[in-house]
Amino acid sequence: MIRVRGVWKRYGDFVAVRDVSFEIGRGEVVAFLGPNGAGKTTTMRMLTGFLTPTEGSIAIAGHELAREAGLARRAIGYLPETPPLYPEMRVHEYVRYVARIKDVPRAELADKVDRALASCGLEDVRGRVIGRLSRGYRQRVGLAQAIVHEPEVLVLDEPTAGLDPMQMAQIRRLIRELAEVEGRTVILSTHILPEAEAICRRVLLISHGEIRVDGSLEDVVGQGTLEDVFLREAMPVSPEDESAQEHAEEGLA
Amino acid sequence: MSHVLAIAGRELRSLLSTPVAYVLFAVYMVFAGYIFFLSLEFFLVQIQQVQMARLPPEQLVEIMSQFNLNDRVIGPSMGTFSFVFVLLVPLLTMRAFAEERANGTIELLLTSPLTAWEIVLGKYLGVLGLVGILVGLTALYPMLLMAYGDPELLQTAGGLLGLFLYGAALAALGCFVSSLTRSQTLAATVSVVAGLMLLLIDVVAELAGTGPGAELLRYLGIRAHFEQSLQGVITTPDLTYFAVVIIFFLTLTRTSVESLRWR
Repeated sequence: MIRVRGVWKRYGDFVAVRDVSFEIGRGEVVAFLGPNGAGKTTTMRMLTGFLTPTEGSIAIAGHELAREAGLARRAIGYLPETPPLYPEMRVHEYVRYVARIKDVPRAELADKVDRALASCGLEDVRGRVIGRLSRGYRQRVGLAQAIVHEPEVLVLDEPTAGLDPMQMAQIRRLIRELAEVEGRTVILSTHILPEAEAICRRVLLISHGEIRVDGSLEDVVGQGTLEDVFLREAMPVSPEDESAQEHAEEGLA
Repeated sequence: MSHVLAIAGRELRSLLSTPVAYVLFAVYMVFAGYIFFLSLEFFLVQIQQVQMARLPPEQLVEIMSQFNLNDRVIGPSMGTFSFVFVLLVPLLTMRAFAEERANGTIELLLTSPLTAWEIVLGKYLGVLGLVGILVGLTALYPMLLMAYGDPELLQTAGGLLGLFLYGAALAALGCFVSSLTRSQTLAATVSVVAGLMLLLIDVVAELAGTGPGAELLRYLGIRAHFEQSLQGVITTPDLTYFAVVIIFFLTLTRTSVESLRWR
């Protein structure tokens, strides 16, 4: 479903992502781990076609991003680190708008919007203005936006950030359902290691822009814990590199 | 096309769901009403003066024939409105892309199956809707005159169309500037300055005198093309001028939006 080959991203002399390659098959749920500033967000932005890699190729659902951008992007649902919300819109208006620009046919609009709202537990606030919602609700609106067009691939950048434990559990259940029942492919980044262990079967760990670990959860963890692996493999990021990475990521939007 | 309409509709609804647009409209109506009132009053004073001068009948008829509402009231006040547009249109366009970039919603647009042209045209059409509303509000004043006099309908319509094209050109410029930054304040300021340059370039042409350089500057200035329309005449060269300006700035906007992917 996702095929990444020899991808680099350079910002001047700074290398944010270095020769990254991996493949993710249908229905896999992959945790994308790494310290802040390691290149997680940059990689996810390249997967979704928001950023163009300096080198290398990415294919989504068999469509090369560089050549069939429209088809590849249609197959992706993306929840960025900051949910891309319009604060002045109402929840259902917003999700409907996203469905339209994601090519959901007119006849199916109402149905798909309702389903996305129901999946994310948003029925009660469907008529509310987004800007007045709590952080947890806004995060869920962001998720509804990512799944409304029923994409084959979901790219979720810290989907449970800012949620309370109950909301977290709900979102995790939803992600598992999307993968197990509907067969969608999910790659999600998180800093909560138990979350990765709870939802994901496979782990990708990136550090200094390089993939350090790629394997099934059991193989990777072995006798220890995911935290041991993380602390062993994730090299500390120097303050300069972290700020360079953040600067690079901030600079574009 | 459906993508473009979805984006344009959202843009327009968003603009109209905040008080900002209404405040701008109200300020414009007050200002335009004042200008219009002054032009009308000046017109009436002039007529009175002519009447009091006790001219011989044939001369009186000749002078009075030059006094018509279009050339003396509607034309001059719309000419002044064009200056207000230079300040107002940037306030409508400043958020177009700057806000999407600041909110992170540009990430949604650029990861959706949209082309950069669809994004730019959608945004531009949305803003154009607001320019249309401004021109529609402007039309109220000549309509008032119709109740008391008989201004030339076609000439008035030509002037309004000219004002719309002029506003559309400024909107294209404003969209481009807005795509360069995340700061709406910066976008508005730079757009006003750039709009003033487009408006006042022909002053430089006057200073330059004659020659091909001066001719070019005169052609680039937006005012001459707009003022033609106040006579009710919209010529093909003028239409071409507006089309070229709009296409030029929208093409730049497209390039600027597409370039976000390469950062």
